[in-house]
Amino acid sequence: MSNARIEGYARALFEVARAEGTLDEVEDELFRFARSYESNDVLREALSNDQLPAERRQAIVEDLLGGKATPTTTQLISMVAGSGRGHDLPAIVDSLVERASSAKQLEVAQVRTAVALTDDQQHRLKAALENATGKSLNLKAIVDPSVVGGVVATVGDTVIDDTVRTRIDQLKSRL
Amino acid sequence: MNAVLAILVAAEGEPHRDDNGQVVTHHWLFPEQAELIYGTLASLIIFALLWKFAGPTVVKAFNGRTERVQTELDSAQRALDEATSDAERIRNAKGDIDAERGRLFSEADAQAEALLSDGRARLDAEAAELESRAAAELVASAARVGDELRLEIGRIVQASTDQVVTASLDAAADQALIEAFIQRVGASS
Repeated sequence: MSNARIEGYARALFEVARAEGTLDEVEDELFRFARSYESNDVLREALSNDQLPAERRQAIVEDLLGGKATPTTTQLISMVAGSGRGHDLPAIVDSLVERASSAKQLEVAQVRTAVALTDDQQHRLKAALENATGKSLNLKAIVDPSVVGGVVATVGDTVIDDTVRTRIDQLKSRL
Repeated sequence: MNAVLAILVAAEGEPHRDDNGQVVTHHWLFPEQAELIYGTLASLIIFALLWKFAGPTVVKAFNGRTERVQTELDSAQRALDEATSDAERIRNAKGDIDAERGRLFSEADAQAEALLSDGRARLDAEAAELESRAAAELVASAARVGDELRLEIGRIVQASTDQVVTASLDAAADQALIEAFIQRVGASS
């Protein structure tokens, strides 16, 4: 999908969420669903499979999120999957998050860890990153077992990587 | 013939006889005088006839023979000259052949020496090349074996690193890493 189309979908989702008055919650739910979508091969295959009828893909979304996410989030994801843009969902959501952050004068900070961060850790990490970058941040924590341990934070073009995975890779390349 | 015989008998006269009536000559060695005369005359006549009729033929024969002998002598002389000339020519040719043989031998020796020298040089060069190639291959082989060994060790270490590190990371270690990251980033302003 072209960037313009991704931006178009992101803008539409953003406007709907803002109109509903649940932008922060929807943005967070969409972000987490997008990360799950990236890491789950079965889910990705199901929602991006054009051979499946649109109704079937939408039913999968509603089965997954029904009662666990806001109706707006469920409907938005169902709409994207039903329109055959499932494979662009992460990009659309990322664009939406960027747009929502910009609207709040914030910059997105993606933080990946092997285990979930506590709220306190997220607050302190956000403060530390804001202190380090001099920017107001919209922290998005992602649980990613592939990092093995440690933290990798991405703020715009800046990447602060202190993961065990990176150290193992460096060790392997030295070997 | 009968006439001549009759003349001879008439000339002889009555033969001498001894006391016993046997016919004897007057001398045991010399013929009778008449016989001597007639014999001499007959011989002269024969010689004269021979001289007249056979002499030219004999002279001619002798002259022919002399001429033939002279011709043969001349021919022999020519043959001798030719043989001498041929011998000289052969000697000269033999000299040329010897010289040519010597030249050919020297050329062959030179070519053989050159071939030998080239062959030695080529063999030396090939031996040196083979030696250097073998040394290079040895070095490359050693390096390759070293690389393969390092690669194999690296593979083994890589394969085991993930397991070892993952197994050694527990929840406390995870939290410690996260806290260390927060502190380090917060202190890096």
